[in-house]
Amino acid sequence: MTVLRMLLMVMLQAFILRDVTPLGQWTRPEWALWALLLVPPQASPFLKLLSGFAMGVALDVALGTYGQHMVAGTALGGALPALHRLFSPREGYEITDRPTLHDMGSSWLIGFTLSAAILYHLVLMVVSNWYWHLLPSAILPSLTSAAFTTMCCVVLHMMIYSPDRRNPTH
Amino acid sequence: MRNLWLLLQRNAFTLAFIALMAVSVSVLLRNNGAARSSWFQKTGAVSSMVDGQRHEWSNYLHLSEQNVQLAAENAALRSQLLSMSMAGTWREDTLRGWSVRSGMLIKGPDGKPHTLSLATPGRSEGITTGMGVLAGGAAFGTVEDVGEGHSQILTLLHSGTAWSCRIGRGGPVASLGWDGREINVLQLNDVPRHVQAKAGDSVFTSGYDLRFPPNVLLGTVIDSDRTPGADFMQVTVASAVDFNATQHLEFIVHRADSERVVLAQPDQQP
Repeated sequence: MTVLRMLLMVMLQAFILRDVTPLGQWTRPEWALWALLLVPPQASPFLKLLSGFAMGVALDVALGTYGQHMVAGTALGGALPALHRLFSPREGYEITDRPTLHDMGSSWLIGFTLSAAILYHLVLMVVSNWYWHLLPSAILPSLTSAAFTTMCCVVLHMMIYSPDRRNPTH
Repeated sequence: MRNLWLLLQRNAFTLAFIALMAVSVSVLLRNNGAARSSWFQKTGAVSSMVDGQRHEWSNYLHLSEQNVQLAAENAALRSQLLSMSMAGTWREDTLRGWSVRSGMLIKGPDGKPHTLSLATPGRSEGITTGMGVLAGGAAFGTVEDVGEGHSQILTLLHSGTAWSCRIGRGGPVASLGWDGREINVLQLNDVPRHVQAKAGDSVFTSGYDLRFPPNVLLGTVIDSDRTPGADFMQVTVASAVDFNATQHLEFIVHRADSERVVLAQPDQQP
């Protein structure tokens, strides 16, 4: 399911949502992150790392940016276990917990998604600009893009995993 | 071994992360021009420093061999000098006017038929195209091209060139070349059939190609091949220079080189 979701989001980002950037470089969302961040916190660290790497490969192939998303995806995949630990509830994750709005709540979801998006966008900024003198001017657009990516992910969560859809009787 | 395995197991995630990141970065460097050039700018300095250090060590390790060679050369020169003093006829040859500048070989022949070698110094120290180059007193090649600090050397081990030479100091002129097969083994072509060439005979430059003075040692005869009915024979020559071990070079400078070159050019027909 994770693989399908990731492939679908990569395709969507590459072929349909690629040019959806309302404020240009200031709001350049990475839609595929939504699929990566849906990897359960209880999953093995290797699965998280490989998911990040695979997402990067798929994005690079689809977007023709060979290597940039691979580096950023691998960095985020490698950092996901630490991020999950950092944002874990005091009593730990339940076995059934999924990283959705319904299970984890809005503050967890926004904090976790924003942290992951900032990491991903900053790494992507470094590898796409590469030269030190170009980095200062790219930091702010990366942060705003990370915020926009977070917003897009939360909207997707609300559309797909809304509490009403999961529990229609309530 | 077991401890190593346990260590690897304990750090498996970190190792996997490093491996995947290395793959990603290598893909990035291979496909992103800016990243690649920036990377090589940074690593180029390091690799040249390592190369320089390795070169220094290599030189150091070869010092004893060089010393033996220098001592032998010194002895030969000294004995020559002594014999000249005793004869009372030695004078500096101002008419022929050859002098020598020392240099270092950076990249030697690699056994491929068309490889050029690289040496220091270059134009900044007066090296010009066409100068002869010696190694240990024997012919090594000629300067093909010069940069500011480096010069490109066309060595005897280049299958596209021929070198004017003769067997012994008074033999007929023939052309020496390389067939591109065996390093340090050259072929002397167009040698008249009547010429006596025995194994161990020395082959010298003729001086006709203006790159070397006459009678610079090129090598020694290994054997000769007389094909029945042919007017010429082929002589196999072992080069006097060991191309695998050469480090120090000598660039031959002619004091009246420009005049020599102009006079040697063919007449321009109106």
